[in-house]
Amino acid sequence: MNTPLTPQSLPRRSFLYRKLAALGARFAAGNEAAIAASFGGTDEAAAAHNLGLADLSPLRRVGFKGPGAADWLVAQGLTVPEVNRCAAQADGARLFRLGANDLMITTDLGATATLPDKLSAAWAALENPPQSPRGFPMPRQEGFCWFVLTGRHAAAAMAKVCGVDLRPHRFPVGAIAQTSVARLSAVAARDDINGTLAFQLFADSASAEYWWDCILDAMQEFGGRPVGTEALRAL
Amino acid sequence: MKIMNCPMNGPRNVSEFVWGGEVREMPDPAASDHEWAEYVFIENNTKGVVREWWMHAPTSYWFIAERNTETDEIVRTYPATELYNSRREFK
Repeated sequence: MNTPLTPQSLPRRSFLYRKLAALGARFAAGNEAAIAASFGGTDEAAAAHNLGLADLSPLRRVGFKGPGAADWLVAQGLTVPEVNRCAAQADGARLFRLGANDLMITTDLGATATLPDKLSAAWAALENPPQSPRGFPMPRQEGFCWFVLTGRHAAAAMAKVCGVDLRPHRFPVGAIAQTSVARLSAVAARDDINGTLAFQLFADSASAEYWWDCILDAMQEFGGRPVGTEALRAL
Repeated sequence: MKIMNCPMNGPRNVSEFVWGGEVREMPDPAASDHEWAEYVFIENNTKGVVREWWMHAPTSYWFIAERNTETDEIVRTYPATELYNSRREFK
């Protein structure tokens, strides 16, 4: 009965599923995909406190862009912060404002927030989306890979691959830096998890495997390692 | 490391930016092919402070920079809305 879940047995896969499997991940199903829940080993939760990198690529996220996008999201009842800030929403979802009219909404770590799906449905139900509003949906689920870097050494590890000062006293909770991370155009947002320093990281999904390796390489010096979503939820 | 100040994202390594050519007045849509070719393909290559389009690649954000082509000093950067603040209609 207890056959381990494999990424290939589900309709969607993380951009990294081969690497995650090679690292010994145990997968859990979510959003029609296998999410790396744990990598085993001793005390993964402690690793997440120290320095851990998790792949959240299969979790739901949507984007809306173009004139009217921000106003439309305000009309949908969302809290829309200023540019380059992220804000928690009522159900735990996060809204990342990447430009005046470039916004991305993600589910929460436990994937319980349904706001991305609700917004997709609301957009699809618009009678005439091209004109009212004049924006368009962005395929962030497919375009971006999504990692979370957690732990007390997270800022120091990021400093090796990113020119922007992400140290906690210079980069407050909710701040977003859109910059080059390991030579890739990326979004790095500070979104601490229960008081543990954490950065949500997004970059071009086509380079996900390269990026994962670069960040893990930068983490080695501080004893960092991959962690699963269970360790994040235990923070 | 050379730093450029993006009006939206703040100071960033200049390697994150893409040059987009001189800021110039667009010719009348009915202008001659010669005028249009000049506008599209020919740069003035001025020595001194020029106004140029630049883009911050991670955000695809286009803005205007005033740069001294002699010293490569960036004098000022600002949003394009400072120059282009009303809709233009063409007949």
